[in-house]
Amino acid sequence: MTVDVGGGVRGLLTWEKQEHLVKLAILILAAVLSFATRLFSVLRFESVIHEFDPYFNYRTTRFLAEQGFYKFHNWFDDRAWYPLGRIIGGTIYPGLMVTSAALYRLMWLLNITIDIRNVCVFLAPFFSSLTTLVTYALTKEIHSTGAGLVAAALISIVPGYISRSVAGSYDNEGIAIFCMLFTYYLWIKAVKTGTIFWSAMSALAYFYMVSSWGGYVFLINLIPLHVLALMITGRFSHRIYIAYSTLYCVGTILSMQISFVGFQPIQSSEHMLALGVFGLCQIHAFVDYLRSRIPKEHFELLFKTLVSSILTVVLVVGTVATITGKVSPWTGRFYSLLDPSYAKNHIPIIASVSEHQPTSWSSFYFDLQILVFLFPAGLYFCFSKLTDSNIFIILYGVTSIYFAGVMVRLMLVLAPVMCVLSGIAISHLLAKYIKSVDAGSAAKAGVESKRQFKKLEQQTGGVKSEVAIGFVGIITFMLIVYTLHCTWVTSEAYSSPSIVLSARSHDGGRIIFDDFREAYYWLQMNTPEDARIMSWWDYGYQITAMANRTILVDNNTWNNTHISRVGQAMASSEEKAYEIMRELDVDYVLVIFGGLTGYSSDDINKFLWMVRIGGSTDRGANIREKDYYAANGEFRVDKEGSPTLLNCLMYKMCYYRFGQMYTEGGKAQGYDRVRAAEIGNKDFELDVLEEAYTTEHWLVRIYKVKDLPNRGV
Amino acid sequence: MPKSGERATLAKPAPNVLKLPYRFDILLKYVSKFELKMGTNFVIYLALGALLCLSKVQAEIVNLNVERSLDLTSQLVRATTKISTEDTAGKPISEYVFFVDEPSLAYISVKDNADKNVQIRKNELAKGEESYTLTFPKAAAKQTFVVETVSSKNILPHPLEIRQNDKQFVKYIGHLHFYSKYKTNSQKTSAKLSSSNILSHTQVKPFSVASTKITFGPYENVEAFSLEPLVIHYENSSPFVTVNSLERTLEISHWGNIAVKESIQMTHTGAKLKGSFSRYDFQKEARSGQSALKSYKTYLPASASGVYYRDTNGNISTSNMNSGRDFIELELRPRFPLFGGWKTQYTLGYNVPSYEYMFSDGNKYQLKMHLIDHIYDNMAIDEATIKIILPEGSSDIKLSTPYTISRLPNELVHTYLDTTGRPVISFSKSNLVESHISDFTLYYSFSKISLLQEPLLVSGFIYIIFVFTIVFLRLDFSITSHSHKE
Repeated sequence: MTVDVGGGVRGLLTWEKQEHLVKLAILILAAVLSFATRLFSVLRFESVIHEFDPYFNYRTTRFLAEQGFYKFHNWFDDRAWYPLGRIIGGTIYPGLMVTSAALYRLMWLLNITIDIRNVCVFLAPFFSSLTTLVTYALTKEIHSTGAGLVAAALISIVPGYISRSVAGSYDNEGIAIFCMLFTYYLWIKAVKTGTIFWSAMSALAYFYMVSSWGGYVFLINLIPLHVLALMITGRFSHRIYIAYSTLYCVGTILSMQISFVGFQPIQSSEHMLALGVFGLCQIHAFVDYLRSRIPKEHFELLFKTLVSSILTVVLVVGTVATITGKVSPWTGRFYSLLDPSYAKNHIPIIASVSEHQPTSWSSFYFDLQILVFLFPAGLYFCFSKLTDSNIFIILYGVTSIYFAGVMVRLMLVLAPVMCVLSGIAISHLLAKYIKSVDAGSAAKAGVESKRQFKKLEQQTGGVKSEVAIGFVGIITFMLIVYTLHCTWVTSEAYSSPSIVLSARSHDGGRIIFDDFREAYYWLQMNTPEDARIMSWWDYGYQITAMANRTILVDNNTWNNTHISRVGQAMASSEEKAYEIMRELDVDYVLVIFGGLTGYSSDDINKFLWMVRIGGSTDRGANIREKDYYAANGEFRVDKEGSPTLLNCLMYKMCYYRFGQMYTEGGKAQGYDRVRAAEIGNKDFELDVLEEAYTTEHWLVRIYKVKDLPNRGV
Repeated sequence: MPKSGERATLAKPAPNVLKLPYRFDILLKYVSKFELKMGTNFVIYLALGALLCLSKVQAEIVNLNVERSLDLTSQLVRATTKISTEDTAGKPISEYVFFVDEPSLAYISVKDNADKNVQIRKNELAKGEESYTLTFPKAAAKQTFVVETVSSKNILPHPLEIRQNDKQFVKYIGHLHFYSKYKTNSQKTSAKLSSSNILSHTQVKPFSVASTKITFGPYENVEAFSLEPLVIHYENSSPFVTVNSLERTLEISHWGNIAVKESIQMTHTGAKLKGSFSRYDFQKEARSGQSALKSYKTYLPASASGVYYRDTNGNISTSNMNSGRDFIELELRPRFPLFGGWKTQYTLGYNVPSYEYMFSDGNKYQLKMHLIDHIYDNMAIDEATIKIILPEGSSDIKLSTPYTISRLPNELVHTYLDTTGRPVISFSKSNLVESHISDFTLYYSFSKISLLQEPLLVSGFIYIIFVFTIVFLRLDFSITSHSHKE
């Protein structure tokens, strides 16, 4: 359909070259499109880093670019987790930072004096362009060139992936998806060829993947699963043996070079499948070897003894290792993968993150649209012609759809395989029906007799050209709708930087709420260099990156008790909180308050999590969640609300002097627009704090902790 | 809109041989008139000086009438002094020594009654006080001229700290009498204030107060070097904002564009904010934060385009731009209102077409641009650094400035498509005010052929890539011929 290159060109180029040209054009277009569609936020706002985690990545990247790798590797950050600090080099996946710092250095070497911020902002779109190309290569290996092109086009705009890779969303996932698909591609290559070269390459790609995202665990379980499935289906061969043994050995040793990963690949339970399959590979190969040498009866006896003794040894060693703690016990995050309700019931800090919630059906459709329906079709086509590589993509599809159902953020892993399988489905269907369309038009032009026509129809699969045209039309329509949907989702849902908020005013003009940066910049300019700022952990990364001040807790929620202590301070009365704040050397307290503007994800709405987390440790035993509910069991901020809530530090900080404000016409003073209630405690003064700064729309309020009063006053 | 100064500004100070405390400098001048040779012994001069002072050497020049008007409405002290002087002996006056009593004088200019510029030469003196020797274009027995001075940091907040809703009171401390080395027959000083709320002022009769204006004098027959203090304590709600450092970068491109970038750090140097800042009061009460800087106007050249206003956290979304015929008015609002003691930092940048500022003759080029530009009205800049980035390959660089500056060593920067680097001319100057907005001229040579370097570099690079691809695709580099198929 797309081969309309003009008569002159057609004369010049052979059929093969034309195909090449079309292929190249589609791929380049898809790559450019995937870059361009992610630029909504840059065009609408500015080249700015989004959200929370990207700010930490940006800060560390800046550090790496300025100070060099060794300083970065040994970096002890005293700006976070006061007074504990954090060893940055050993607690992050450095792949992302190293990638952008390397790009940055390379460009400076070529005298392209680009700002490091812009490198960070545009890294994710750049890598999604690469992902598009890799998806093509992967699908081509698995199925066909046509399917590859369709898959590449689909993945370039799939919202499930865009959600984590818009310009400015500078996070690990942005490059990790590329690494993952690249590793898969090389793995399929290795499985198909059985050469050490390809498996070593895939080990290198795996190393890159490990260095960039914690999600590598999925990969190192999927590949062994593939090998296992091949063994079970009797497809195990020398090719698989070479591919997996090389990948596992080289990949594991390489992955242990990342200091955050360390000895986990041989200790933690998440990596045990890989190790087990590696052992099984050796045994399988050995058994195959024996079978070819020993008579049948002898072999069967030997086989039975071997199996039973190996199973016993594995069980005993496994139990001993788990009991002695050599093998790390089942961690919370792992359980929450298998059992969606585990985290909610056991660890409040995991449950409090919205992206750890189970996925709803609507969000599947929202993020994938027609792919949801094409996915089973793709699976069917894979099953109908099973090969080694098809088995892999089937396994990938099935496991990832399960994990995506468990956690919203794993939608990201599902999106590529959805595109691959849908690409296969669409290409398969189109290839079948487009022939009939062609035949139909050819028939109309040249074929006179009915018999000839029938013959032609049989050749093309027995479909009438009208049906074929109708079918192709429907597919085209679906794809167009898909494009529109993706663009709409990207523009409406995934392109807001979340540190700059925008709203529509009554007259249709755009109002910008730039309060976050206003507050952070105020902190940076007008507080002492070593001031310590207490806030809920959500804002930790942003404060260190944008205000350059020391904070108590941040988004790297590694120390539950410390976060709990902050939660206790927020949930306690002023006197109790003052003790905790003195204990933690707090100079300023920062809260987010949306009551004036109607910004709903503010600290009062998150407050119950603070109470829960605050009450989850021994020192916070006095904080009980039910004290914060009104008599009828609701969480209310008005007069009906519980007195504990109405007098706790968080409430007072949010509503200080708010009782005098008129927020909405026809409502009383102190009307909270988020909770839609008039606040219950209006007239109070702060004893231990004083208002240091409040932003223009009251979104961020900063308080200074007063010093102890002088003696005798 | 401040106009680029056509006025006389400080001429380069002639090297002065005298390095003694200033009083002796004057005396030495007399001494030299008596043709006494300058000796080496300081004590002798001291003794001589004392002697001369005692014997009251007859001053030949007298100030007949001095009218001073002080503008104290902003943070700057603008003094306009009209002086009529006469030589008692009837000799024509060609030189006059003018003393400056403000410690941080930023700017001085002198015009005679025909509105002609008078040449000024700065005398190197002891710290704290300065004197200038004025040379008139035409020597005459009677001279009338007007001296304009601007000085910063002479009005200080008093009290030093105020609450958010308080008014800002300031104190001006100066001289009641015109500080001169000559005797003054009659003089009058008027001070224009920012408000009629005057807490106290020097009470030396005769004086009169009329709402925002105080007039002192006329005082008759004031001796030379009379030191009478003048103190006015009054309300001044205008924000006292000082630019601590300004870094102005001009990047010249011969493709028709000049990129201007100004990095500015400013502090509110008025009365410091005491206690808490209440947003409620700030929004609801009119009297709250009167002396805080909420927004200000910056004027850019009319041809400016691509204006950006940002800081390290990104774009500052609170600004408005109004294009006028002769200039662009930019209303800038810092991210937060600047209260006393608060500071902020930002970068403002824009592009202007180069044809308005560059003149050429063959390979010789001349760049004429503002050395500094307007930031806000009544601005005071502590330290300004100006960097001019010339195109790669510029040579024979010569700089001429309207006032003295201190040159910093030349640098080289490498940026897009550079090979050898672009030369950077940089210099700095401290204590600047609006009157310093005037043009510098930079002369350099640049061969027009070097303009072709950049497009050639790009096309050459692409060409090489294509050649490599062609070669690579057509040749087989494998060591063995492998018949391997997947």
